[in-house]
Amino acid sequence: MNTPVLDVKKAWVSRELKHDRQLFRAQFSPDGRFIAAGGQDKLVHVWELDGEKKKTFNSHKTWVSSLVFHPKAKRLFTADYLGVIHCWNHEAGGGPQWTIPTADQDNVRALIVTPDGRFLISGGDDATVKVWNTDNGKPVASLEGHKECIFSLAISPDGKHLVSGDLYGSVRQWGIGSWKFERELDAKILHTRLDNFIADVGGVRSLAFNKDSKLLAVGGMKEAKSNAFCPGKPTVLIFDWATGKQKTELRIKGKSDGPFNAMCFLEDGTLTGHTEILHSDSELTFWETDAPEPLHSIKNGSAYDLSLHPDGRQLLVTTYVSGGSSGNGARKRHREQYTPNSTNLKIFSLFSKPAAKKAGC
Amino acid sequence: MNHIPHNHACGNTEHGVSRRQMLGTLGGAVGFGSLLQPGIAAEIKKQHKQVCLIWLDGGMSQYESWHPLPESKFGGPFRSIKTSIPGVHFSELVPETAKIAHKISVIRTMETKDPNHSTGVPRIQRGDPIDRGVTYPHLGSAVAKLLGPANPNLPPYLWIKPGNGGFIAKEAGFLGAQYGTLALGDGKPPIHIHRPDGVSAEVEAARNALRLKANERFKAYRGASEIDAYETSYAMARQLMARKEIFDDSKMDPKDKERYGTHPLGRHILQARRLLEAGVRFIKVNSYHWDTHGDNFNMSQRLIPQLDRPFAALINDLEDRGMLDHTLVIVMSEFGRTPIINSRLGRDHWPDCWSIALAGCGIKRGAIIGETTKDGAFVNSEGYDIGHLFHTIFTLLGLNPRKTRYRIKGQKLAIAHDDCEPIKEVMQ
Repeated sequence: MNTPVLDVKKAWVSRELKHDRQLFRAQFSPDGRFIAAGGQDKLVHVWELDGEKKKTFNSHKTWVSSLVFHPKAKRLFTADYLGVIHCWNHEAGGGPQWTIPTADQDNVRALIVTPDGRFLISGGDDATVKVWNTDNGKPVASLEGHKECIFSLAISPDGKHLVSGDLYGSVRQWGIGSWKFERELDAKILHTRLDNFIADVGGVRSLAFNKDSKLLAVGGMKEAKSNAFCPGKPTVLIFDWATGKQKTELRIKGKSDGPFNAMCFLEDGTLTGHTEILHSDSELTFWETDAPEPLHSIKNGSAYDLSLHPDGRQLLVTTYVSGGSSGNGARKRHREQYTPNSTNLKIFSLFSKPAAKKAGC
Repeated sequence: MNHIPHNHACGNTEHGVSRRQMLGTLGGAVGFGSLLQPGIAAEIKKQHKQVCLIWLDGGMSQYESWHPLPESKFGGPFRSIKTSIPGVHFSELVPETAKIAHKISVIRTMETKDPNHSTGVPRIQRGDPIDRGVTYPHLGSAVAKLLGPANPNLPPYLWIKPGNGGFIAKEAGFLGAQYGTLALGDGKPPIHIHRPDGVSAEVEAARNALRLKANERFKAYRGASEIDAYETSYAMARQLMARKEIFDDSKMDPKDKERYGTHPLGRHILQARRLLEAGVRFIKVNSYHWDTHGDNFNMSQRLIPQLDRPFAALINDLEDRGMLDHTLVIVMSEFGRTPIINSRLGRDHWPDCWSIALAGCGIKRGAIIGETTKDGAFVNSEGYDIGHLFHTIFTLLGLNPRKTRYRIKGQKLAIAHDDCEPIKEVMQ
């Protein structure tokens, strides 16, 4: 079968996997056969896409905050809010192959694996980037320099550089293998602390390289108006990787007011990202990165993660679904129907929907 | 404008002791405590009662503080930790309060009515009395009226808040402006509190006498409330002017600053302690921006420790100074936060089942009150409305909310909701 032509303006939802609790992270496996997801129910869920078989992995004692597949081996790494990282065989099932009990003082917010599969890298609340051996979870390096919690990590496609983004809008570049600090990129616009705030808001919530490592996208939100609702302007900053200078600031069309939690580049250089909004529809947005206005956007619920299938034509979007009881109380009358919100793992096919075959043909 | 006289005398016969009578009796009472008439003894005890209300405006999440339930479907991602009360757990975000849990009480079954800020804040702070077509005073003004100043040389009701200060008459409702509060912006005294060096005490006294005379003349033909507000605020400022050492940072122990924290809520609770030590009857400490509809877990991680340390430090300090037995400390908001987590990973408003913390002045030590459903969403025992809490507070302050009445325009009005009772489980 020919690979369909990439056309984000014709994107459509080709498959949905529904889950009765809120999930915060979901990723395709590198071979495209599995989806792993984790969130509020403390479980790691792995769907086999061919036939919809599902495995559940149970060892985290709190919410699952981050996950990443090994690029070659049958390993899945998952992390939680208590600083624990587990390594699983997502195909065989069973308990963790190994565990790092204190990868962070608190929440491990980001995980990534180097393209050669040797190193697992974590970042989180203790503001230290940590490098681990993917075979056994032993520590390799500890990279200090951030002054606040780390939200996001990315590795350049050539496998030479790591970037980490923090609450203050600092993006620090490190050498893979040398583990030396190389330079800092300024994304401080994504952090807000007004005089009347009692907490810092925002941060670098997502990072993504384009395929030739010429551009780095830095996602979050700017101009937060309060530390309560935390509403801001969803923003992506495009940096020229060679110079480290910001080239473009990307905007959205809609009314979303949360940060970009995830982004990825498509093979034609289009960037896609998703944000959040309170009690309304958000949007999946696509840009050509040299213009601030979106190329296209698709109305969708708030979403917390994106993952591009290895075929480059399917995009997994971890979408929030309201159970109908969100919003302010009092809901005593609905006591029996008061249930948590849920998730729809939507797979958007990024090409024109094939025409339905006529009956009898 | 017609002059409308305010005659809101407290109708409680137990409160019919004048300050002069009190002082006289106190003088004679030294060394003769057993000879004190019971009514007078109760009055003396009452005169020492003080209150510190820590108000977390917008609503703090009960799941991320006093009632964590991480194993339930609505629990957050944070650990629950052991407290100093065997079998009782708080969120890991309140580790310092967990250590002193045996000194405080937590009510986990507050069940109030209003899910909105604009109506909820005044409704809660007024005790949500039965609507009789009048505007009830906020708690601080009510206590200022019902108990008067604890130290006659200091205002009875001060409000420490971020931002600007100034005299706020509307807190007093129908009691009239003289029971309003002087707000201390960022915990600082009113501007121009210090008498300029070039103005002698005699000149200052003469200026004040002239000002009072002018006020009396002006008041004779006009509405009293505005003048009362001006006069009260001026009097309060003068009182604070005489006690400027209470605000002198250089006199503060640096260790105290560290223990309470350098963030606004820490500094303001420490200032509240100093004002309580000086004898202010009622202090409200406000912190804003707790309405975490968005990013609740990141925000709670940063906000709730700002309460934890200074609250625990305050309780310890009041106890060390022998003040906890007569000082009531209340930590509350207009409601709690929803069990359900919304699309912005926030929690919305939840009056249906939420928690408050209390300590001192006859509050039980180490009591955790109320049973909720397993997931903490709803009350599974008796729910307590704000009226119950007001009955409790007034009773602890030595008032009888069943007998004590405000008088306004010939009406006698209950000081707390007629249909509620004190929460006996939380009282010693």
